[in-house]
Amino acid sequence: MAPGFPEKQVRRRARRGASAVFPPADGYGRVLFGAEPGEPHDLLDAMRLVPPVFMERRLAKLIDLGREPTYQDVELATDIGGFHATLPVYVSALGSTRAAGGDLGLALSRQAAAVGVPMVIGENIVPVNGYGRLDGDASRSLLGRLTAYAEHVGDGLGGVVVQQSTEDADAEVWNLVYSDPTARPLLDSGRLAFELKVGQGAKPGLGGMTVLDAAAAAGLEDQFGIDPLFGDRVLRASSPGTFTAEILRQQIRLMRNNFPRARVWVKLYPGRDLAAAVRVAVEAGADAVTVDGAEGGTGWAPTVFPAQVGLPLAECLRRLPEPPPCLLVSGRIWEGGRAVKSLALGARAVGLGRAALLATAEDPHDGLIRFLECLATEMRLLVSALGQYTPGALGPDDVWAPGDGR
Amino acid sequence: MTENHLTGPANPRAHLTSPALHATLRIQNKLLAAARDHLAEAGFTEIHPPVIGPVTDPCSRGSKQVDVDYYGHRYKLMTSAILYKQASLLAFDKIYCIAPNVRLEPLETADTSRHLAEFHQLDVEWAGASKEQAVQLAEDLVAQMVRRAVAELPQEFEVLGRDVGMFAGLVKGVFPRITHAEAVERLHALGHGQSPDAELDWDGEALLSAQSDRPFFVTDYPKGSRGFTDRESPTAPGMLRNFDLIASDGFGELCSGSERTFEYAEAVTRMRETGENPRKYSWYLDLMREGIPASAGFGLGVERFTRYVAGLDAVWQANAFPKLPGVVSP
Repeated sequence: MAPGFPEKQVRRRARRGASAVFPPADGYGRVLFGAEPGEPHDLLDAMRLVPPVFMERRLAKLIDLGREPTYQDVELATDIGGFHATLPVYVSALGSTRAAGGDLGLALSRQAAAVGVPMVIGENIVPVNGYGRLDGDASRSLLGRLTAYAEHVGDGLGGVVVQQSTEDADAEVWNLVYSDPTARPLLDSGRLAFELKVGQGAKPGLGGMTVLDAAAAAGLEDQFGIDPLFGDRVLRASSPGTFTAEILRQQIRLMRNNFPRARVWVKLYPGRDLAAAVRVAVEAGADAVTVDGAEGGTGWAPTVFPAQVGLPLAECLRRLPEPPPCLLVSGRIWEGGRAVKSLALGARAVGLGRAALLATAEDPHDGLIRFLECLATEMRLLVSALGQYTPGALGPDDVWAPGDGR
Repeated sequence: MTENHLTGPANPRAHLTSPALHATLRIQNKLLAAARDHLAEAGFTEIHPPVIGPVTDPCSRGSKQVDVDYYGHRYKLMTSAILYKQASLLAFDKIYCIAPNVRLEPLETADTSRHLAEFHQLDVEWAGASKEQAVQLAEDLVAQMVRRAVAELPQEFEVLGRDVGMFAGLVKGVFPRITHAEAVERLHALGHGQSPDAELDWDGEALLSAQSDRPFFVTDYPKGSRGFTDRESPTAPGMLRNFDLIASDGFGELCSGSERTFEYAEAVTRMRETGENPRKYSWYLDLMREGIPASAGFGLGVERFTRYVAGLDAVWQANAFPKLPGVVSP
């Protein structure tokens, strides 16, 4: 289901919750589960968090509390792109991945809501699964997921982010949501955002790609590129969308103009001019800018792209020495180490893609909730070990990279 | 005055048989007759634009288009006639039409007293005209429409309790003009947080409108506040060659117009800047590739204008079968 991804570990966390931050007690001495320092997957994995010995902030916390602080004193709640979240975590778009459709999509929505973390609903959901108002199966649709989220989220917490890319503009996904009665409670409480998808980490510079039966693709030829690559199945390729600095700036301004009550998020792929793109997005008024590292993505991509195209997440962060106020990152995030390193290097929050999907699949009732409990505990342990009690207090000094002079 | 002006008519029969509606529709009729006379005299030909098409005007603040299944192709009900108005200039240099527009407006607009999901627009387009000429035409037209209605329908205004003395300034036909930047400045001075990059928000528009004794033009909106059809100034990049006509006394916007984007490469670029996919505009872009006339024009909301002239509480009172956003009605 997720080759190359630590699926077993994610599923274990979804089953066991916070206790899974430790090695399994029953396998102790027999199974070295996660205890070996295996080959790092990428630069972010290879970096290490480096606690100092002297901790001024811990003393301040000690004075504040009148007792020695522990990891349980770390406050993880934060603001993410205009929403209030219980953790510096959001659920990334899962696109139209069939694996994310139907009941699993609903289960994921319910659990993200219950924990109080924002959730992005991917582009292509409407073109592929419908909106769910007059057409088709509501449970697979955007409407189904919006409703499931809104019903389970606590007052003042979380938010839903609806993505749109170039061809989705034809389906007017944002306009549809903005004028829909179902979305109104979220809109009225300031918990609806729209995300402009400039691209994604798994295939920088390309548009969305899905595989369809030839018959199903017949009616789409005037809207999408269709490539008969797989016999009776075809590749449906969206355009990547053309962006210049002015196009990005004006699209963001138009979003703010047309949807004044929705927050504006922008998702960028890990391009080499990332810093310039982030700057344009922030200046044009984006509430959050997401950078999807080359390790990210649940989608269908030509194999050469994940292997050889786009900047790794660690390099993206390095190229943003003065990160914008609300930088969000995603890319193979599944445990606290990558998450806390990302936060220390300037991110406000991290996005879970495949990990959220696998955790939900492991247990559609509580899997994601337990997985997030585990992640939160691990993050608290790490943040407190660095002598800090909020993620916002972390900084680049907390991270060591191989070859660093420090 | 109607008790339920925020929620629409209690029932169709009560609405259709109300003397207020009769007076209102007669005023509306007179306004349109005056417009037809004025435009015919100025050399404009009335055309009948399509009701459905593969694409329609994309930029209407937050509203949704209505899809129509046209033999398996996704067609749209017209949100405005703009694309067809530009194309029609290949037939005549000066055209106008009075046509229904459908926009599924955000639900929050149901109680603004100013939005209908289905409304009519008097749409004018003029080949070779500048923004200034279009503004002048709109000013003359509006003044003439009101003059005729006031002169010929005193009884109707009396039924509605509308004091026509308030049009003393309007019928002289000299409306103030301020730029968008000046409007933003005024709103900031009034303590209203208007974004300089966006269209005037509804509250801001109402604030300015309430301060004026006659309609006024706001011109030169920033790019990013309007769709690709409004032409960007060749001499002041980032600024559009466009305008709105805003009524006095808090009645808000009546009319929007602009010089049009008419060059192919510029249209494609502006489509991208407004988040549109050029592919779906193929018929329109094909015409542009071969050349369509430069033009300017405007659209005057028939119900909004009637509401203003008749002094109604809400725009739905100027429509026999009103559809308030989100309200299920005939």
